[in-house]
Amino acid sequence: MPQRLVARRLLRGLLGGLNLLAAAGVAALLIPRPAISQTAKSKAPAKSYTAPRTPDGQPDMQGVWSNAVLTPLERPADLKGKEFFTQEEAAAYIKRTIEQGNKDRRDGSGTEADVARAYNDFWWDRGTSVVKTLRTSLITDPPDGRVPALTPAALKRAAQVREARLLHPADGPEDRPLAERCLVLNSAGPPMSPSAYNNNYQVVQTAKTFVVLNEMIHDARVIPLDGSPHIPSGIRLWMGDSRGHWEGDTLVVDTTNFTGQTPFRGSGENLHLTERFTRMDAETLLYQYTVDDPESFTRPWSVAIPSVRTSGPILEYACNEGNYGMEGLLSAARFEEKKKSK
Amino acid sequence: MRTRVAVLIGIAGLLMAAAPAWAHHAFAAEFDAQKPVKLKGTVAKVELINPHSWIHMDVKDADGKVTRWMVEGGSPNALFRRGVTKDALPQGTEISVDGYQAKDGSNRANGRDITFADGRKLFVGGSNPDEQPGK
Repeated sequence: MPQRLVARRLLRGLLGGLNLLAAAGVAALLIPRPAISQTAKSKAPAKSYTAPRTPDGQPDMQGVWSNAVLTPLERPADLKGKEFFTQEEAAAYIKRTIEQGNKDRRDGSGTEADVARAYNDFWWDRGTSVVKTLRTSLITDPPDGRVPALTPAALKRAAQVREARLLHPADGPEDRPLAERCLVLNSAGPPMSPSAYNNNYQVVQTAKTFVVLNEMIHDARVIPLDGSPHIPSGIRLWMGDSRGHWEGDTLVVDTTNFTGQTPFRGSGENLHLTERFTRMDAETLLYQYTVDDPESFTRPWSVAIPSVRTSGPILEYACNEGNYGMEGLLSAARFEEKKKSK
Repeated sequence: MRTRVAVLIGIAGLLMAAAPAWAHHAFAAEFDAQKPVKLKGTVAKVELINPHSWIHMDVKDADGKVTRWMVEGGSPNALFRRGVTKDALPQGTEISVDGYQAKDGSNRANGRDITFADGRKLFVGGSNPDEQPGK
């Protein structure tokens, strides 16, 4: 990958400079890229646990898993510098988060914020716990637990999207986000993210494929394990092109060929996503990913989400069949236009 | 008023960026914060569908005229997983809705707060309304 070469060259330059200034041990702590692989390695499964095997001899990850969790992707500002909760702090955080997120609250009644809460709490399913490690962010790297700064090019791209939406908010369905059109939903990924509901996914394995069926919307991601190369770079897909391979007991999924129309926290079409699935114990499937997109982020970043075994089945979402909301949005926009022209 | 819609959508976008705990679409672009409605009536039909459920209800005014309203809720999947089905709200059940009317003035509202007519919470005890606490 050309991006990797560039990154390595930059890294070598940085290393050389730092070695002149600092002891090698100190320098090692300051270099971003090795820190990622260290993070990933430190999350490798405990040696004492060996995953059961499928008939094909692969580590068996089949079943339904939930990634509902209250731990935020990014470490909140008020927890700056605090990498892990104590048990007591975690309990207080859980209580506070559930109370603050409760949609039955009606403070601010008559405001847009209250409309945006949309509906009662019984519809929602955000989870009731934080990650077992008690880490205060799902981001494991960089160490500050925050998404790295966007590059000027990524900021410009995001501004252009916002501007286009301001000029044409709802002329037709094509002006609305892909999620509202029931085409793809962000939390289904890749990468998969905990959301406010439908945080379940099912894994089905064969000798040559690894299938991830996410309850949020309708896509079953069928990931070839046969060593075949990515599709040509001229072919672009909303969910990218995923290829998997085994590294020991970890399934590594490499995804490229994005369109840029499904930005993840500001990523672009040349996002190179690496996901890792590892069985930790009978009830836990560790899901990790690294976002590598030098065109969009000032450095790569990594996330770890332990998924918990849950009862199935995955339920149908059938978003497009019941999307009366789209009609309502467009109708509201026509009404507003008429009002304005009078 | 396109500017206003645009601004609201912009705000919604910001909120989306800040909080992933978001409905599938921008409710603030569909319903009007300036048009709060309080409806009391009976359940006519329940559509537990995705991406959002809709409860149809008949609301009688002081003159006895009945108007059909559609009330938008959330994805039913979490309810199904807890064992709740549409039998929890049989036709004729009296409910109250505190929500916001559609911007286009049609008889649609978001079900910001849906309860039984006597204020009890919906879907707490399972599918049978008789099992609801307090009854």
